[in-house]
Parts: sequence; structure tokens; C-alpha cells
Amino acid sequence: MANIAAQRIKREFKEVIKSEEVAKCAIKLELLNDSYTELKGEIAGPPDTPYEGGNFVLEIRVPETYPFNPPKVRFITKIWHPNISSVTGAICLDILKDQWAAAMTLRTVLLSLQALLSAAEPDDPQDAVVARQYKENLEMFKLTAKHWTNVYAGGPFVNSDCDDKIKRLIDMGIEEHQARVALSSYNWVLERATEQLFS
Amino acid sequence: MGFELNRFQGEVDEELVCPICSGVLEDPIQAPICEHAFCKSCITEWISRQPTCPVDRQIVTSPQLRQVPRIIRNLLSRLCITCDNAQYGCTRVLKLDALAAHLEECEHNPKRPLPCEQGCGLIIPKDELKDHNCIKELRALIHTQQQKLNEFQQEFTEQRFLLAEQRREMQLLKDFMRAMRISNPSMRAIADAMERDEVLRWSNSLQRARVTRWGGMISTPDEILQRMIKRTLTEMGCPPHILDDLMENCHERRWPPGLCSLETRQNNRRQYENYICKRVPGKQAVLVLSCDNPHMGEDMMVEPGLVMIFAHGIE
Repeated sequence: MANIAAQRIKREFKEVIKSEEVAKCAIKLELLNDSYTELKGEIAGPPDTPYEGGNFVLEIRVPETYPFNPPKVRFITKIWHPNISSVTGAICLDILKDQWAAAMTLRTVLLSLQALLSAAEPDDPQDAVVARQYKENLEMFKLTAKHWTNVYAGGPFVNSDCDDKIKRLIDMGIEEHQARVALSSYNWVLERATEQLFS
Repeated sequence: MGFELNRFQGEVDEELVCPICSGVLEDPIQAPICEHAFCKSCITEWISRQPTCPVDRQIVTSPQLRQVPRIIRNLLSRLCITCDNAQYGCTRVLKLDALAAHLEECEHNPKRPLPCEQGCGLIIPKDELKDHNCIKELRALIHTQQQKLNEFQQEFTEQRFLLAEQRREMQLLKDFMRAMRISNPSMRAIADAMERDEVLRWSNSLQRARVTRWGGMISTPDEILQRMIKRTLTEMGCPPHILDDLMENCHERRWPPGLCSLETRQNNRRQYENYICKRVPGKQAVLVLSCDNPHMGEDMMVEPGLVMIFAHGIE
């Protein structure tokens, strides 16, 4: 790995560890190997959002050409968000693409992702299904996002209605996550989700 | 790329750190408007990807980059840094501006060139010295030189062949020209005119000579003297087609009637001063070309001119 990338990551790692956000448990960073190429990030769901109370784990890969190219980041924790793929965790955020600048750091990336959770950009979606729901039925979106946060990110909000519907599908032999995706995509209308699953 | 922070003694101000490499600024340079400073190599690399300031994304192009203010440079030069070769045992701590000079001569530099002391005399980087084998190195040297020698030999042969080829072609051309000249009167006229022009040009390029003692004239120069003069004329750029004739005309047997014997020379002594003579550098001799002397009578001049050799008296 190029010297400059390793030097930067070493320093950025220290910067994050010492930052006040870590002190407030808002972000976390962990090294996965000695060569500073793979890290695990964690951000807390921002307050007053459907993600509140959840912890979202991120996979961070540092390219050879860092910091001239942005780090490759994706969500490991499943999340319901217009700019994050509910399937792969891929993120649509300008600073991770063409708006990257060499002076940005892993700390600013983590904070930007946290900000993205507070302020979605449905007009620049990564997940078209989620984005449509966000624009057409904001309440339904919030409910779904809260439910996903509860199930996958350890959020406190339990929605027994959702759980019941998923249970019904599981009883029909559908895998749990698949059931949740289908119901989420069809605004929790059991009939339509079933129809889609069995068509 | 900047200097690693942990090489410095004491705290380094955040302002002196490159936002790209996160090292201490090396060869610092700043953006024109926002004045953000970076290592020259870092910002050059970034701008080659996109022409913006990496901190605030203002448009910046390479020619717009400016030197950082003197105060920044002074602050940087005062920082104390450990030597690059600290891991090889150098314990020096220097001011940043003295680092480059120290690295030039740091004896701990593993790549420092040292002469082999076992007798081969080769200059070897220090870290390769312990694995150095004189015979092996010299053999390799001989091998490469042998290869070079072979290449030169090959080229030499090639060149010699080319030269022979060209010489042959040149001869052919000469023969052809001679034939044209003989068979075609108008060609002959052209060739004659060209030769005359060449003599004129040459004559104009020569310096005038003054003979102070006409009595020193040697009317029967020996072979050695003649060869010496001939070589000088060649070096002076004498047109080849008149060289032999000129040299023939350095002896009284080929001189015109007015000069060819002691008696006629005595009679015509007064006309000598009318000759326009040209210098033969470094020699006690003058050229009297017929193209310079149309005013002289026929019995005092021959084509294409005379060479007069003297014992002394030429200026």
C-alpha cells in the first residue's frame, strides 16, 4: 500500500479515536488489518429520525490511491433509506464519488453519512423502491425505516403489526428477510406482498 | 509527500501539516484565493485528477499555485527533525532547512557510494558493499565493454563499407561529369565558369601579402619545400582543380618568359611591385593568381597563377 495512504489512515484513525463524537458514542472506527486498508465504521442513528437508537455498521476499504480517491464505503447493517441500497448497502453520496476532496477524512465521511441519515435525497436515489415510498407515503417510509432499525440495528421501536405480518409470511414458508423486503416494498399490504412473492 | 509527524521534536502546529498527506509540509505551495497550503507533490497529484482546492473545492489550476508566505517557510525551517537514516543508526536531529545538506553526506545512508577497498576500485552503495564480489563485478564490466566493443566493430565495418560505396559512386559521378564536359561544349562553358568563380571566391577570401625583398625569391625550390607549400595550400581551401597547376608554377622552368631566367628577371625587376600577391599563412611564400593580376603583361603571368617562394622578406 502506498506510503501516503497508510500515513493518512494512521493519523485519521487517531483523529477519530480522540474526537468528541466518539466520546458521545456517535461514531466508531476499528482497524481490521495491519496494513490500514480495511476498517469497520459504526455510526449511531441520529436523534429525531427513524434511525434513532440504532447502530449502523459500515465496511470501509481504503484504495491504494487514497486520499486522491475516496474510500469505498458501504452499509453492512441493513437499512431502509432512499440513498442506500436495501440489498447491497451501497451508498449514493456525492462525496464518496465525484465530490470527494483529498482533505476529507474518515471522520468527515462518517459524519456525512450520519447527516445523510437525517436528510435523505430522494431525487438522487440508490434504492428506487425506498425513494418512491419516501416521496409518495412519508409516514409509511418512517414506519418501515423504524422497523428495519429495530430489527437490524438494535433500535428500540418494536412494531408488532409488522412482526405479525412477517410471521404470517414465514408460516407460508417464506424466508424472514425476504418477507420483510416484500412487505416493506408494498407498504405492508399483506395481499400484495404475498402476490409478489408467489407470482 | 510531507515529512512524517513523528520525526519532529515537540508539537508541530496544525497549520504546517499538509491536508492531503497529513505530513509536515514539504516544498509547500498554496492555492491563490483560499491560501490553503499543501506539499507541492501532493497538490500536483490532486490537481492532475481534478482542478479544485482539496479543502474547499474552489477551482485551482497548476499555474495558479503560489509560494507560501515567508513566515510559513521560516516556521517550517525552524522545526527540528530526525535524520531519514535514523533507522540505520543516525542520531542527528536537525533544523528542517539543514536536512537536505546533511542527507548529502550522512554516513549512515545505506545508499551512500563508497569505493571498494579490496582493490577493484569500483564505487558501490554502502548496503551492497558486504555482498560485493570484485571478480564478479569486474567480469560483468568486461562483459558489457566487450559487447560495446563488438558493437563498435560492427559499426566500423558497416561504415567502411558505406565509405567505399560512396567513393565508388563519387568516382562514377566525376567520370560522368568529365565525359559531359568533353562531349558537350555548353557544359564545358558552364564547368569552366564554375571553376573560375570558385577560384575568384577563394582568392577574395585570402589576405593580401607584401613582399619587402624581391631579391629573396627562390626560383628553384626543392621537393620538400614544394610539398610543404602544397599541404598549406590544401589547408587553405585551394580549389583542387588548380592545386597541381599552381604547384607546378612554383619553379622557374614553368614561369612566364618575363620571369623564367635570371636575366629576364633582372630586366623586369621594376614590374614586381605591380603584382597583387596573396598570403600563404605561416610560410615565406605568396600566391600570384592570374585572376587578381589581369593588368600584368602576358610575359609576366601564366594560368592559373604562380607560387613564389622566398627565403625571407614577406609581410
